[in-house]
Amino acid sequence: MFYWIYDVPTHQLALGMAALFVGFSWLGVILIRPFVRLFVLRRRSDANDVVGYILSCFCVFYGLLLGLIAVAAYQNFSSVDASVSNEAAALAALYEDVSVYAEPHGQDLRWLLRDFCRYTIRYAWPEYQQGRIPEGSEVRLKAFQERLLAFEPETPSQEIVHAEALRQFNVFMERYRIRQHSVSTGIPAIMWYVVIIGAVLNIMLVWLFDIDFLSHLALGGVLAFFLSTVILLIAAMDNPFRGEVSIQPEAFETLYWDRMRQ
Amino acid sequence: MTLPEQAKFRKVTSPSSENCSRREMLQCSGSGLTLAAASGIAPFVFAGCERVELPSVPRVKVGILHSQTGMMGMNESSLRDAELLAIDEINAGGGILGHLIDAVVKDGRSGFTDTFPAQATKLLADEQVPVVFGCWTSASRKAVLPIFERFNGLLFYPLQYEGNESSYNIVYSGSLPNQQILPAIDWLISEPGGSKRRFYLIGSDYVFPWTAHHIIEKYFASLNRDDLQIVGYKYVPMGAREFRETVQEIGERSPDVIFSTINGTSNQSFFRELAAQNVSPETTPVMSTSVGEDELRSMRLGEIEGQLATWSYVQSIDTPRNRRFVRRFQNEHGEDRVLSDPMEAAYSQVYLWKLMVEKARSFDVDAIRDALSSGIEFNAPSGPLKLDGRTFHAFKRCRIGRVREDRQFDIVYESPDTIAPDPYPNFAFPGWDCNWTRGGITQGERIKIARPKKFVATA
Repeated sequence: MFYWIYDVPTHQLALGMAALFVGFSWLGVILIRPFVRLFVLRRRSDANDVVGYILSCFCVFYGLLLGLIAVAAYQNFSSVDASVSNEAAALAALYEDVSVYAEPHGQDLRWLLRDFCRYTIRYAWPEYQQGRIPEGSEVRLKAFQERLLAFEPETPSQEIVHAEALRQFNVFMERYRIRQHSVSTGIPAIMWYVVIIGAVLNIMLVWLFDIDFLSHLALGGVLAFFLSTVILLIAAMDNPFRGEVSIQPEAFETLYWDRMRQ
Repeated sequence: MTLPEQAKFRKVTSPSSENCSRREMLQCSGSGLTLAAASGIAPFVFAGCERVELPSVPRVKVGILHSQTGMMGMNESSLRDAELLAIDEINAGGGILGHLIDAVVKDGRSGFTDTFPAQATKLLADEQVPVVFGCWTSASRKAVLPIFERFNGLLFYPLQYEGNESSYNIVYSGSLPNQQILPAIDWLISEPGGSKRRFYLIGSDYVFPWTAHHIIEKYFASLNRDDLQIVGYKYVPMGAREFRETVQEIGERSPDVIFSTINGTSNQSFFRELAAQNVSPETTPVMSTSVGEDELRSMRLGEIEGQLATWSYVQSIDTPRNRRFVRRFQNEHGEDRVLSDPMEAAYSQVYLWKLMVEKARSFDVDAIRDALSSGIEFNAPSGPLKLDGRTFHAFKRCRIGRVREDRQFDIVYESPDTIAPDPYPNFAFPGWDCNWTRGGITQGERIKIARPKKFVATA
């Protein structure tokens, strides 16, 4: 949900969200506050205490929710980042394994892996950033697998190398699948609804305070601004391949240029 | 604020009021200014929340249909790479008619008669691409041809092939037998080619060798020379690896030259057996039609050095244009990647289509074909490449290369000029002609090209 936010530069998104939250808070203070005061607050003198009590209870739960989600989003981002590095490392190991095959088989296998790496950097990554999984990666790996399986070892040493290459290929494929899966991982929509509704309620509760107008604007604005930054943080970390704050193919680029293109 | 205070507030907000204190005035001004500033800034801030639309550059989809997996995966993937390189270059140069090209790449999976037509249908019907660059084998080309005719699509086919075919929906950018095989025959029987007289024809068991051998046979007959002789034929199954008996038979027939239309991995086994039985290129050279730089990689140098091949393009062509092409490709894919005739044709045909679109000022297939009727010319890595509006085939140069120690070709012969395409050489297909500017195909005598069972070797 809200995938369009990843097409907006982060600084603009931050400004926009801050303006939206603070604006909403101020609007409520200006438009809603007089009515609230007129019909609710004038009936009791301890209204601020009641609102403060409710708000603090609410903030505990909501803050806990936001905090946990922020940590989960960051952990997910870190683990996906690590899985990309692991995949590139497995690819590098596989490339080393096939480098010792007899020619032209070894050359074919190296070309196919290099082509996969190049495709991943150049064509697949932009697709991941749009939340799509291109079919070209799968096709290239199938071509590599076919070529690998077509090799018939003729000596015991070739048998050992071939067995190791097959094992390494399986390791690589496992990591590749994990990364493919993580392209579409993110916080479930229902959780986003809870976060947003919680933020709205939080701001609305602040409207109920009976304090000086400017202080009301300032305090409400500060709270709304803080909420916007935490939600921005979660949104930016969610969907690890999307937006400006996203995982980049540096591990693959290093492998491609430093090892495969030498 | 209590109600009396509210009343006071209402009172002091009146502009006519003279009881407005400084503090109250500041409060009101602050509120007003804040609101005014918020309203003023909001449009700019919220503008960032809109979906960022990059400068709107229209895009046009094109199809690429090659086997990327299966038996032909390695070979056909190279064509995909060459075509994508051309597309990248065109996009980097601003695209075509202000449109950037999006390549939709499909895998034929070496399923020539089932997957290729299915993928072609997807490209034409679902993706609605105006053009497809694709196929390698004649089987796949023939299988997709009805699909292109049904959807009025346009297929660019980059391989040298057997001819005896024309379609209003296919542009053939590879060589025909009269541009590849017949010049090689002429050269072999000439003095520089060694004045060969006794030919042994060997090929894989499919339509290209059948037709090629039919054309060679009829060509010899048309030359009216008694000294030219075909001393034997042989067809080997695709993928064959056992050539001992075949080479023994060749030895018994004592040909001056072996003319090979063997395709694919069988070439490795064939040349290995020739070397094993001491059939050397000095005494009995092999002239191959399907052994390019890519195939040479998989052969032992001692088994192929000195052998001959006939192509329109070889990587070793020493021109600035070709050096640029080779450098560009290797920069993209690695210094150890080699280029071959089909790859050059695949690369060039994308530019041919670009020129056709620019001439037609439209991506519409009918408009493009109209533009082709007056001919299209492109400065290809192999030299000037011209499309013939009559036959939808290309004018091609013939080059004969001798394999050298770096697994590249030394060019030993080059046709003085490009050779006009003739999909139906009159001596082989009497009465047949193709002219799309004047009514299309003229049918002549019915010629049956079929599998000649008596010459087929067992696997």
